[in-house]
Amino acid sequence: MIADWFAHIRRLLTEKPPVALLIVTVIVVSSASLLSRLLANDSLMLGPPRQVVSINSKMGIHTRLTDEVEEAKIKQSLEMVREMGASWIVEYFPWAYVEREPGVFKWKHSDMVIQHAHHQGLKIVARLGFVPEWARPPETTPLYLDEENFEAFGRYAAEFAARYQEQVGYIIIWNEPNLSLEWGFQPVDPAKYVRMLQVVYPMIKAANPNVQVLAGALAPTLALPGDPNGMNDLDFLQRMYDADAAPYFDALAIHAYGWHSAPDDPPAPDVVNLRRSELLRAIMVENGDAAKSAMITEGGWNDHPRWTRAVRPGQRIEYTIRAYEVAQQEWPWMEAVAFWAFRYPWDAKSYQDYFTFVRTDFEPKPIYSEVAKYAAGE
Amino acid sequence: MDPEQRIKIHDPQILKLAAQQLFESVQAPRNNINGNNSLFTRNTLLQFTANPIRVIACAILAVFGAAIIASFVVGGGIFTPTDPTWRAMQQRGSWRVGMDPSFPPFELLDEHGQMAGYDVELARAMAARWNLRLELVPIGFDSLLDALQTGQIDSIVSALPYDPRATQNVRYSPPYFEAGIRLVVRADSPLLSQSIVEVEQFSALLANQRLAVEWGSAGDMVGRRLQQAAATIELQPFSTPEEAVSALLTDASIDALLVDNITLLTMQGQGAAISAVGPALEANPYVIASPITAPVLQQEIADALQALSADGTLQGLTIQWLR
Repeated sequence: MIADWFAHIRRLLTEKPPVALLIVTVIVVSSASLLSRLLANDSLMLGPPRQVVSINSKMGIHTRLTDEVEEAKIKQSLEMVREMGASWIVEYFPWAYVEREPGVFKWKHSDMVIQHAHHQGLKIVARLGFVPEWARPPETTPLYLDEENFEAFGRYAAEFAARYQEQVGYIIIWNEPNLSLEWGFQPVDPAKYVRMLQVVYPMIKAANPNVQVLAGALAPTLALPGDPNGMNDLDFLQRMYDADAAPYFDALAIHAYGWHSAPDDPPAPDVVNLRRSELLRAIMVENGDAAKSAMITEGGWNDHPRWTRAVRPGQRIEYTIRAYEVAQQEWPWMEAVAFWAFRYPWDAKSYQDYFTFVRTDFEPKPIYSEVAKYAAGE
Repeated sequence: MDPEQRIKIHDPQILKLAAQQLFESVQAPRNNINGNNSLFTRNTLLQFTANPIRVIACAILAVFGAAIIASFVVGGGIFTPTDPTWRAMQQRGSWRVGMDPSFPPFELLDEHGQMAGYDVELARAMAARWNLRLELVPIGFDSLLDALQTGQIDSIVSALPYDPRATQNVRYSPPYFEAGIRLVVRADSPLLSQSIVEVEQFSALLANQRLAVEWGSAGDMVGRRLQQAAATIELQPFSTPEEAVSALLTDASIDALLVDNITLLTMQGQGAAISAVGPALEANPYVIASPITAPVLQQEIADALQALSADGTLQGLTIQWLR
């Protein structure tokens, strides 16, 4: 049969050269096009490597690229972060997105984000969590993790730490475990969170001894004892130390929302403000962890016109810049301040939109321009 | 049909004969039913019913016909869209409206703890048009859409901005209030005489002008956008919109102000001699949302808003609550 085909082709070439030429041209062009597409999928549009220029090396921002599909938008986001003068980004790398089947890791999107961020000269703090379906019981949320699957989470974290050892220097284990919502709607349990650290931390360190593991990332709350929705962050941190957490993290991740308070308002246990970070720091020192650093991995102010915890847009700008200054001038133990959030992939159409620095269409909000001016020393 | 036959058919006599034959053939079965002839006899009927497919087809047609008649009797016709929300409203005798009473003057709690404001009065006027009782359900702003989609409320009337991404989930009314960013000038400003129809015309109009803005606000953002098109536009930031309005009124070096329409109307209500020029530079229309399964309610709302606009009710609400 194949011999017949060849005979037919030979006849075509000799008897009808124009038709043969046309067919050959189509085959060549199609093959070239297919090849270029395949190559394009595997190579990123990184551009030249860049460096952040800023008067404040602690400036950072939480990006939200998890659900951003297009590479061009990921690149533009990270370019704009650099141009704003922020050296640090915090980004979420959900376990369920990467390891949909046990042991099968799909790194394409993570690679894209991390390579672009690294190329822009940004320091990456990776937040890990979000449990795949196979690692939790049916009818549970992706924030639910049983102790029997701590090791599976540890394997993902270790794979991540090893894969990105050249680009990612910081990993946060879990997010806001002092809220029932973030703990899979179970009663919050500092000792169980510490047991997670005790399993996952050594696995990460074995894979990449240089990476800094952050714990905590506690939600600032004023929850009273017994509140089913969560536990006061100050109490939770102390109970973490009581459960022997100290050897299982290298730095503390802090969430520092300002609500109505100015950045220079003093801290108090019954107040949520920026300087509540100092109370968390005091607990670290009291428990012998003064040598460790901390990092604000979420926080900031909101200027929604009707949200009850919002401030005026001008106050938001003023407070944000002052907070960066406070971290630089007064808090030697604070490694970076990454506020929530740079940009959303789409509008939330709620107060959440008023946390961002850039609109979904990349138009910079005034806060972006003013922070950029501050970072440039203007 | 060959050409010869076609010619014959055009003969009036032949046409008359054909018409007569057709008339007789139509009349024949009727005569047979009356027993005058034997063409449509009991045998024919038995022959027809002997074929089960014919019987089933006739039964289906009968059921379908009955359904059409029933739909006209019960629901006003088969082509009327079904709307469980509107039907439930009629049966209940009320329109259940969700709102977050924390956004004066659109919705607030008065000194008696009752919900009041522009949106409350608007909803009341609409319910009255439908002869329905108004039920107000206080719900946090961020939970309003969930409450609508889970059937806890019939509609949202809560200074709700239009969201094009949500049109697959809810039905929106036409806008009833535009809260977007306006160019505002003093009552004696020469800019008032300018005819501005398109947003793109603003940057040319404002070249070499000094604009007051609230620092960091949406007006500030629009101003910075205008500066991209006309670098000679100067922005003068203020801490609050009230300070910006005050500066416009007292500082002759400030030519105009970029502020949201709510602030504009409120300040006008307080006696500030200021006016808007042209359309909103950045639109922010407020709309009423209803369930995606409520096309009748959506149409009723649209009709009511049109009527309330035509009879001056909407204008009256603006004067009552914003001025």
